[in-house]
Amino acid sequence: MSTTTPPDRRGDAAPEPALVWRGCTKTFETPGGGSYDAVRDIDLVVPAGRFVSIVGPTGSGKSTILNMAAGLLEASSGEVESFGAPVRGVNRRASYMFQQDALLPWKTVLDNVALGLTFAGVDTREAHDRARVWLERVGLKAFTDRYPHQLSGGMRKRTAIAQAWIVDPDILLMDEPFSALDVQTRQIMENELLNLWSGSGKAAVFITHDLDEAIALSDEVVILGAGPGSTVVATYEIDIPRPRDLLEIRDDPAFIDLHREIWGRLKQEVERTYAAQNERESA
Amino acid sequence: MSAQGGTTRDDTALQAAGVRRRQGRGVSNLAMRGLQLLLALVVLGLWELGGRAGLIDQFFFPLPSDIFATVWTWVSSGYVFPHLWVTMQESVLAFVIGAALGLFLGFLLARVRFLDRLFDPFLQMFNALPRVVLAPIFLLWFGLGIWSKVAFGVTLVFFIVFFNTLEGVKGVDRVLVDNARMLGAKESHLLRHVFVPSALTWIFSSLHISVGFAITGAVVGEYLGASAGVGYAIAQAQGVFDTRGVFAGMFILMVVVLVVDVLVNRLERYLLRWRPAR
Ligand SMILES: Nc1ncnc2c1ncn2[C@@H]1O[C@H](COP(=O)(O)OP(=O)(O)OP(=O)(O)O)[C@@H](O)[C@H]1O
Ligand SMILES: [Mg+2]
Repeated sequence: MSTTTPPDRRGDAAPEPALVWRGCTKTFETPGGGSYDAVRDIDLVVPAGRFVSIVGPTGSGKSTILNMAAGLLEASSGEVESFGAPVRGVNRRASYMFQQDALLPWKTVLDNVALGLTFAGVDTREAHDRARVWLERVGLKAFTDRYPHQLSGGMRKRTAIAQAWIVDPDILLMDEPFSALDVQTRQIMENELLNLWSGSGKAAVFITHDLDEAIALSDEVVILGAGPGSTVVATYEIDIPRPRDLLEIRDDPAFIDLHREIWGRLKQEVERTYAAQNERESA
Repeated sequence: MSAQGGTTRDDTALQAAGVRRRQGRGVSNLAMRGLQLLLALVVLGLWELGGRAGLIDQFFFPLPSDIFATVWTWVSSGYVFPHLWVTMQESVLAFVIGAALGLFLGFLLARVRFLDRLFDPFLQMFNALPRVVLAPIFLLWFGLGIWSKVAFGVTLVFFIVFFNTLEGVKGVDRVLVDNARMLGAKESHLLRHVFVPSALTWIFSSLHISVGFAITGAVVGEYLGASAGVGYAIAQAQGVFDTRGVFAGMFILMVVVLVVDVLVNRLERYLLRWRPAR
């Protein structure tokens, strides 16, 4: 797949990282009239072409961080930069795969995949042709005329992948894209995602609850601490060589060591979140 | 929130659907149709017999056979058609203008929060006004011709379509909008590809009601003062104590509304074909 020169995954030669969070804090107003710091002072760099996963306990602000990078949410203080330019409004260099189904239910699979091209003013015939190519790539050639409700969960995710990739973004933002799938389907989807991504030169920010998934896919795993005011507590370099075989990787000794190490840290944060929740409930 | 009349009509429709589903298991569709026909015949037959036996006052409740005879005379002599034509014109105009205004303002206010907040109390006020009281003033303003009825119908249709559009657009799943925006949608794209289709469900549930109201507006307007129209024909019959004529007019209107409703259903099924079958 890699026909062009592979991008530098270390990132030190790339002058402009795909994404930089600089001291980003997001404060939400609570219904009671108070305020709640979801994340505080996030400093994070995602170099171009690099696959970075973010893990953390529930409510630690993973989606918040991603939405700031997407430009769907504005930081209360601090700033996100994308390829050297501050993100104002929707980040035009990024695609987003949501945790929930985000396909338009009133459009066929083909029209859904072609959507980004339609918005860009590509004429319908060409948009459809290119959408068909993508649907073939994700194995949905036979389902172009279906509506989303007529697909299985895995097929809907494939459609979402094609929809996100057809606009050829430089950054892929993914918020637990496969968490609604069963284990087998999820592994297949992870494999397909990795195949698409290898050699594409795209930066990927992948949010997950599943540490296995994070390690297997990524160049780097970032741990967010327990909320409120959570921040980056640790980052780990995943130096398992690529290409990786996702079906075997969990037996790899390097994988097992990394998993033990990262889980040791993540567990603390999960326990803190859990303790804080119990405290709040008993209070 | 949706305007008056809407809820009750919807509720009965829902209940009816529920009943239909529950019974649908045991009895085939054809048999059910047969039963319905039988029920209608029994009721009409009892009415007819009761009238002939003198149990029911024929002046107030004319015999079904007499009503149908009057309907037949009106239809075969062609008497009713010019009136029906006028009523239809008024209804269509009222519906088109009212729906267009309702859609436009509904989308506008749903997308521009400032305007929504600005207009809200005034719209609530006008909506609270029982619309019938507007009919006399419209007669003065627009005269006895069709436009006073159109204006009256517009005030009925507008609010239903408006409130439903507003709710429909506001109720769009946030993630669909975010996804479209990430894919590069501008406001006009959002409108066309996200908000309009999403609001269609709501707009259609209100379409049945608003079509009915357009016709109601026309007929009531005619009844209060006109020189043509089915409402006028009914008022004429009433003026000479011709209850058969009144019932005949009602029957004809009922049939017309039913036919229109079937057409609206067809259209709805086509436009909402992407929805999972229920
Ligand atoms: N619009 C909002 N208004 C108020 N609070 C919010 C809002 N959105 C998020 N929060 C709060 O901010 C915190 C972080 O939320 P976020 O959705 O980013 O967490 P997360 O890490 O993605 O969680 P999960 O793993 O469960 O998806 C949570 O405590 C949440 O309650
Ligand atoms: Mg989340």
